[in-house]
Amino acid sequence: MEVKITRGNGEVTAQLIGRLDTPASLEIAPQMNALADEADGTIILDCTQLAYISSSGLRIFITLRKAAAAKGGKVIVRGISNEIRSVFMMTGFLNLFEIQ
Amino acid sequence: MKKLRNLKALLLVFVAAVALEATALVQFYFSQNGLREEAKLRAEGQLEATRYEIMDIIDQAEAAVRNSVWIAQWCLDYPDSLQRVCQRIVADNPVVAGSTIALVPGYIKNRPLFSPYVCRDGDGSLKVLSLATEQYDYPSQEWFARPLELGEGYWSEPYVDEGGGEMLMTTYSLPIRDSKGVQAAVITADISLEWLKELMGRMNVYPNAYCTVGSREGHVMVSPPEKQDPKTLVFNTMVDRTGWTISLVIPESDIFGVLRRVGSIVGILQLLGLLIIILMLQSFVRGERRYRELDKQRERISGELQIATGIQMSMVPKTFPPFPERHDLDMAATIVPAKEVGGDLYDFFIRDEKLFFCVGDVSGKGIPAALVMAVTRTTFRNLSAHEDSPGRIVRAMNDSLSAMNESNMFVTFFCGVLDLANGQLRYCNAGHNPPMSLTDSIRPLPVVPNLPLGIMGGFEFQEQEMPFRYDDAIFLYTDGLTEAENSAHEQFGEARMDDALHGRKSAQGHLENIKKRVADFVGDAPQSDDLTILFIHYVPSSRRLVLSNSIDQVSLLPAFVEDAVKASKLEPETADSLNLALEEAVVNVINYAYPEGTVGEVIIDAATTETALTFTITDSGKPFDPTAREEVDINASVEERPVGGLGIHLVRRIMDDVRYERRGEKNVLILTKKY
Repeated sequence: MEVKITRGNGEVTAQLIGRLDTPASLEIAPQMNALADEADGTIILDCTQLAYISSSGLRIFITLRKAAAAKGGKVIVRGISNEIRSVFMMTGFLNLFEIQ
Repeated sequence: MKKLRNLKALLLVFVAAVALEATALVQFYFSQNGLREEAKLRAEGQLEATRYEIMDIIDQAEAAVRNSVWIAQWCLDYPDSLQRVCQRIVADNPVVAGSTIALVPGYIKNRPLFSPYVCRDGDGSLKVLSLATEQYDYPSQEWFARPLELGEGYWSEPYVDEGGGEMLMTTYSLPIRDSKGVQAAVITADISLEWLKELMGRMNVYPNAYCTVGSREGHVMVSPPEKQDPKTLVFNTMVDRTGWTISLVIPESDIFGVLRRVGSIVGILQLLGLLIIILMLQSFVRGERRYRELDKQRERISGELQIATGIQMSMVPKTFPPFPERHDLDMAATIVPAKEVGGDLYDFFIRDEKLFFCVGDVSGKGIPAALVMAVTRTTFRNLSAHEDSPGRIVRAMNDSLSAMNESNMFVTFFCGVLDLANGQLRYCNAGHNPPMSLTDSIRPLPVVPNLPLGIMGGFEFQEQEMPFRYDDAIFLYTDGLTEAENSAHEQFGEARMDDALHGRKSAQGHLENIKKRVADFVGDAPQSDDLTILFIHYVPSSRRLVLSNSIDQVSLLPAFVEDAVKASKLEPETADSLNLALEEAVVNVINYAYPEGTVGEVIIDAATTETALTFTITDSGKPFDPTAREEVDINASVEERPVGGLGIHLVRRIMDDVRYERRGEKNVLILTKKY
């Protein structure tokens, strides 16, 4: 699992590459949770190369979403696969995130 | 038995000999009789002809005398004219050599003895002598006295004429009576018997036959030759009036000579033939015996080889499918020995849910290789009965085989142990050609070559391992497959084998396909090496994954789930979501059933049925029922939503049925996904 974080135009983009299973979530959690500090702006989660996500991965997503809600920023989820989309649907995440 | 056969053969020859000789003897006997009969006919014919010839001369002489009797009677009164009568007899009859008319003494008073004798001189002219001499004293001569005594004609005994040329003579005499009936004189005709000799000499019916002629009194007139055969046949005939006996003597050798010569030649030829038959029979019997012994020997060896093949074949599992009650293994195997018995082997068996299997190739061929094969197989069975590690099995086999390897034979060997519960394959290769692994691709299994068994005791064999997944297969073989040669001495080779392994088939299907391809390739060329194939196809309907209670372990789930899905009737795409459900369930167990610091296992069993795929997650942690957790409200606002609780929610959403049980000291969570 790899995370690439880039910044520009007042936006933070986290590119998630690989499988976000429980061990991977634990691994990237500190890095991702740190992004909450920038939740007043726009956080883009680029899922174009994300193959899999478990509930611990979803937990990272919603943590950022809650931070954005508190700070008036927004979280955009970009490029989810059909598989991940169905997970989002099952968990009601489609309603929580702006999906691009 | 041998003697009896000899006796029979001898008896056969003996009977044949007796029959042959008896036939020859009978033939000989009849031929001899025939020849004797013929000789008799010929001799009698000739004797008869000769007798007629003699009688002719006798008759001529008698007639000459008889015809002159009347004139002699007439001349009695003129004795001097009697001489002329004699002259007429001699002159007119060439057979007559001499003639006389001798007066009975005293018939004429002044002439007490009177006998003029006329005979042929040396030059053929006639000469006249008188027999009326005192020394001769004709009245006492037989030719004179006997006819007078008998009163009729008489042929004298043969005698040698002293006066007239030293010839053998005989005389016919006839008394002459005068007109008063008184015996007055004797008239005679001499005939020489020299012609008789000549006549007898002409009787040459057989080359060594001869004639003798005997007189009435037994004097020999024609004598036999000096040299006489001891065995003769004699035929006689008698000449009338003279009383002579003519004997024709034929030596048996003349009559039967040819027959006896032919007979002995035939006899010798027959004996020679019999001898040849005996020799041939003897050599035939000897050859036959030798052939039978060889045949018996060959039969015995071939029988023993068949038994050996039977024993060898009984050592390898031959019943397929070998484990009909199991559905997780599809196996096929074969050994095709190049000679009756071979040095290849394969073996397999299941112990403690582990499949132990091996393939080996003993150096060399025939019975020695088969013996080593038997030892190898026995050693494998003995060691693997208690040992699970293929590396340690191979090490111990190598030490055992090296220790007793006096014939310097070695065995290339591959040993594998497949854990049927989790698909873990551990293997150890001892110098054998790498098996082919049929997973996503078809390629040789990565192997450390190590060393063949039996070369160096104490060698540290390296064991390797590889996870075996659903539908994976391993194809083990001996070099008899890749080195199978056709008549052009080309080898079947790895490329052809590789090609033959493509395509989805049952194990038996793969085996038949490879065998057929090899057979088609090899054609009529003789098989040069044993060919062994062992095909193991792993298709578990249920599998087990055992995890320790560490979050890292969830990375082992995707492969496990993928295999479980493959074995089921689910679409492959469902694997991801099932994996998610399973991961959530397992993470729950690790997080809640096993509190921080405790050690435990999470066992996952995947089972396919006709209608569903079921995962059963078992742990020995503290009681924990994930289904008891409150449902999360997915429609709540961002602010109201809790961060956690999504895991069990996902499990519920993905699976069709989620059931928790506390079984004894264990938590059991059963997840079912219907097709």
